[in-house]
Amino acid sequence: MTSNMTLNMITGMIKRLRYLSMELKKTAKLLPAMLAQIILLISVLAMVVFGSVKSMGWEALSVHAEIAVVVGEDSTLMTGMLLRYVENMESVSQFCDFRQTTEQEGFALLEKGEVTALVVLPEGLLEGIMNGTNPVVEIYFPKQAGLEALFFREMTEAGEGLLRVAQAQIYGAGDMARAFGLTEQLSQIEVEIDSYNLAFALDRLALYDSAKVSAFGSVNAVQFYLASGSIMFLLLAGMAMYPVVRREPPALCRQLERAGMGEIWQSFCQWLCGLLCISLFAGVLWAAVRLFVRFGPQETVEHLMTDSGYPLYMEAGLAAVILMTVTTLVYLIHSLAGSRTGGILLVFLLSVVMVYLSGGLVPAMFLPQPMRTLGAWLPSAWLIRAMCGLWAGRDAVVTGECVVVLCGYTVLCGGLVCALREGRARRRTG
Amino acid sequence: MITVTELTSAYGRKQILQGVSFTAQRGECVGIVGANGCGKSTLLSVLAGTLKPRSGQVLYYGKAAWSDAGNGRMHEDKEVIRRMTGYVPQEDPLIPELSVYDNLRLWYPDKGTLRRELEQGFLNLLGLGEFSAKQVHKLSGGMKKRVSIGIAMASTPPILLLDEPSAALDLICKEDIRRYLQIYLERKGTVVITTHEESELDLCSTLYVMKEGRLHQVDNRLRGEGLTGRM
Repeated sequence: MTSNMTLNMITGMIKRLRYLSMELKKTAKLLPAMLAQIILLISVLAMVVFGSVKSMGWEALSVHAEIAVVVGEDSTLMTGMLLRYVENMESVSQFCDFRQTTEQEGFALLEKGEVTALVVLPEGLLEGIMNGTNPVVEIYFPKQAGLEALFFREMTEAGEGLLRVAQAQIYGAGDMARAFGLTEQLSQIEVEIDSYNLAFALDRLALYDSAKVSAFGSVNAVQFYLASGSIMFLLLAGMAMYPVVRREPPALCRQLERAGMGEIWQSFCQWLCGLLCISLFAGVLWAAVRLFVRFGPQETVEHLMTDSGYPLYMEAGLAAVILMTVTTLVYLIHSLAGSRTGGILLVFLLSVVMVYLSGGLVPAMFLPQPMRTLGAWLPSAWLIRAMCGLWAGRDAVVTGECVVVLCGYTVLCGGLVCALREGRARRRTG
Repeated sequence: MITVTELTSAYGRKQILQGVSFTAQRGECVGIVGANGCGKSTLLSVLAGTLKPRSGQVLYYGKAAWSDAGNGRMHEDKEVIRRMTGYVPQEDPLIPELSVYDNLRLWYPDKGTLRRELEQGFLNLLGLGEFSAKQVHKLSGGMKKRVSIGIAMASTPPILLLDEPSAALDLICKEDIRRYLQIYLERKGTVVITTHEESELDLCSTLYVMKEGRLHQVDNRLRGEGLTGRM
């Protein structure tokens, strides 16, 4: 009895393996057509990427403001010198160009939008600053102030603040000198204070803290788009996977069930074949990236090349988890759709929507809050995060979290596929 | 030998088989005819173990394939069904991307047996030997049906269940299949066949008409009078 059971088990296992080998053979026969589709997909994506890269600048965002300055006709030489001095300050010269105009001309330029702001300097400005009367400097901005105008407003406010502090220092020092009978040294004290203030003012950028802010987190834009593009590619490549993961004809399913190969084994075999296909597609993508690295524009390649810092086995494990999740997700979508056209359309739509919501097309921080909240929990968000880790390295805890969540998604999607197919089989067999 | 007793089956609330009973001896061919949708395919699906009956009993050579397990549940002995029956459904259970050989290889226990069958056995009789390298999706309907019969015969079962095997086939194919079944019956196989074909009815030693889920045996004296035309 026991030996009979063992024999039956062995026979059953041999049958199952034979079915698996036939599925693999089927997949091998379908591969050339699938690869042709994938190469076509890569070509289309490559054209889009190439176009984007060409139009992408790597310099920091540059803000440049053209400022019209009106200097009164009877302004002193001192006012002109002050203007030239401010113009040549490093912090100002980086962002502003000053253009001396008449008042009428200045307003006309502001109206046309040719200047960012119009500054009207009053008569005796410098003298007023020196003697503490502080004549008002009028600054006009256009109605629709752009980033440059905002930036200039910030600069003038900062300058005003500095001037206020300098004046307070000089007046304070004067009062102090007079109180202690040091009026003879007053001019020397003022020279000292001026030299300190000017030293700071000339090198004001030294006071700023340099901080890099990126919408892409710890990776740069190229690495981020490479990661999200890879996930998008793998999901879209799932469209070509349909012949491999489509349900066998009902008559064949019934015969397989009769032979002891139920829906779960059939699903597993198809999933395995799908995983092989997706792995192969990923290999094609990897080869395409290597080609790009070799022949692509140097400035882009420089941004692309980093090391994940993980040992090889961890990289392989992470890649395997990503591929398994993508395969299972695509398999579930095809199973839900139930037909070739439906499957292809659904894979396309869901891939684009999921990647968009996950911030794969436009960084998530630019999306509305509800979309960001939803997108953060989509499998595509975790796939992109894991892929970023694979390209550029990540904190081990973040990567570990990705692996756990992706494994969870794989099990969930796989379970849903099995439940779906079992349910259909049960309805069929009564 | 087949013994079917009071078999009932239903899709949801719709009763399809209502107390079907019949027997078939070794070397006997039982034919079942009837209008479309009367339950012929359902009966064969139950006999093949791909559809669960509501009640009744099916015995193959005295061994229970389907039996009442109490509490309104049915017990299926998959091993008995698998060993005793070969099933040719209406649609062909084939993988179109693979060759005839690969499709057969999936069901035959080893390469040696398959090769022998293709060279001088049943599969050769079916004319599959010369087509074994061809891809299934390039085959005609008749050839696909022959492959389906070949698959059903993989475990050399004593009972063959055929669901309208000649539907939409040309005359030569129908004749080949008929000849093949003749040989199978001569070798003491038991055949249950649902059909609309007069030529296949000639093979049947017992003929039933299925109407409203019940089987009615046809008197052999009436069989020459255009039976299928009257249904």
